Amino acid sequence: MAVGEEEVRHIALLARLHVTDQETEPLQRHLNDILEHFERLKGLDLVNVDPFAREDLDATPWREDVACSWEGREEALSEAPVRDGDFFRVPRILEGNDE
Amino acid sequence: MNRLQMSAADLARAVKNREVSAAENVQASIARIEEVEGRVHALLTPLFDRALEKAAQIDQKVGKGEDPGPLAGVPVIVKDNLCMRGLKTTCGSRMLENWRPPYDASTVRFMEEAGAVILGKANMDEFAMGSSTENSAFFPTLNPWDLDRVPGGSSGGSAASVACGYAPLALGSDTGGSIRQPAAFCGVYGLKPTYGLISRYGLVAFASSLDQVGPFSRSVEDLALVLNVLAKPDPADATSSRRERPDFMTFLGKENLKGLRVGVVSEFEAYPVQPEIKEAMERVQNILREAGARFSCVNLPTTIEAGLPCYYIIAPAEASSNLARYDGVRYGLSVEARNLGDLYMKTRGRGFGAEVKRRILTGTYVLSSGYYDAYYLVALKARTKISREFKEAFQDVDMLLMPTTPTLPFRQGENVEDPIQMYLGDVFTLPVNLASLPGLSLNAGYSKTGLPVGIQLVGPQWGEGTLLAAAEAVERVLGKPACAFGGV
Repeated sequence: MAVGEEEVRHIALLARLHVTDQETEPLQRHLNDILEHFERLKGLDLVNVDPFAREDLDATPWREDVACSWEGREEALSEAPVRDGDFFRVPRILEGNDE
Repeated sequence: MNRLQMSAADLARAVKNREVSAAENVQASIARIEEVEGRVHALLTPLFDRALEKAAQIDQKVGKGEDPGPLAGVPVIVKDNLCMRGLKTTCGSRMLENWRPPYDASTVRFMEEAGAVILGKANMDEFAMGSSTENSAFFPTLNPWDLDRVPGGSSGGSAASVACGYAPLALGSDTGGSIRQPAAFCGVYGLKPTYGLISRYGLVAFASSLDQVGPFSRSVEDLALVLNVLAKPDPADATSSRRERPDFMTFLGKENLKGLRVGVVSEFEAYPVQPEIKEAMERVQNILREAGARFSCVNLPTTIEAGLPCYYIIAPAEASSNLARYDGVRYGLSVEARNLGDLYMKTRGRGFGAEVKRRILTGTYVLSSGYYDAYYLVALKARTKISREFKEAFQDVDMLLMPTTPTLPFRQGENVEDPIQMYLGDVFTLPVNLASLPGLSLNAGYSKTGLPVGIQLVGPQWGEGTLLAAAEAVERVLGKPACAFGGV
């Protein structure tokens, strides 16, 4: 079940990751190599094994649902590539005619 | 003794007793960094001016008779994936090259509150993905014992800093071995704590169910000392355990290890490792036996068979989700684009390096429709099975002894073209993360060519104390790890 070039492009699109033509072939090779390695899991007896049994962990503690103040707001906004007042500005979401 | 070889405990004592000032400690460290950093390249961002200011504050406290804290005036290096407010935190990535986080990681805050002085941010594999620090987007760090070789990774800058004597302590993070493997390669101690012992707040996320922050040092006492500072429950991290922490210093100073049951993993014994590592295993085994420990064999058949594929499904899956946040909108790199979809694609395409792209794609693939059941779900089940296998083993033994790595530090460039060969080097470290266990890598001597050899102690959950006691018994015989003066 080898991964083809088209599938690499599809996965890259799902990941919102632009890959160049030069990058595609090595990524495809890597995916196929690593998937072959994953085949080792196929031999395990996993019948009736709970995938989410993190019995090894302490229960996630509860905390009071109380608001607390945070002073980093201005610093956080100042990191915005494009800022518009108290908002992050992004390019248009849909393609269309520029106004 | 040369100040650069002094432990954090001794430096803090000297500062408190006014035998030396925090400022003098920091100046000595800066001088050392200026002497060798041009060859080792361990640091991404030096913070010398800030460190001198902080040191002056500590000295003022001491002058006024106030308690300066258990790490008073101790120089520390911090991996560059731990946030420091207003200071560059790059994660070794172009994506965050100029990012200044608006808050401190809890571990950074705990260290500074304890009087530690942070001297700089350490180089690392991009987003902590790698085992050689060659995946840093900026430059590789070199192994201070042999500049042709890698320091390990992903916390290679932190490990090399402690080995070079920049500081007696450094912080790193460990998702599949990223503290223990570079500790082994650089000849220092590295501790990956039980999942939930140390806060992850402000640690830039890679794989959240596996990531833990932990220390590097050149003495066991320093590991205990810094655990007392770091291992606090933190409401800001939902996975931080609320259980009461012991005083880790109480595990030290044991006369012998009578009653300690140590397991050797049969499957790991059969795994091909370099002869120097086999010899070091025997050396440590003899020391522990001499100190009163009893040895037996345990079996971890699923762990050896499935650990590596299980990890290389779960970690990339979590990474693909965690790294979705780098979209060019709120912070970090942003590439000009005509629409929002294009902004995401271009920013991520340009901002991430090759290994990060490989992992994002692998993670996206195993989570994608049609493959989730075949890969991700199977890996989660295998993880349950691995955890249970360790749990059963720890009914018969108190601690496991295993190599940290199958090889000595490899050469720069040796594994760059073959990512899966690089992954295979994590075979002994990553099961420990999958099962949420503590693991300690200690230096067990050097090869004939002068390269450090690391051996790993693995405990049951919350078993850090046992690891410290056993490591101290080894340290009594082999001595504390030396600074890498010879190599540089």
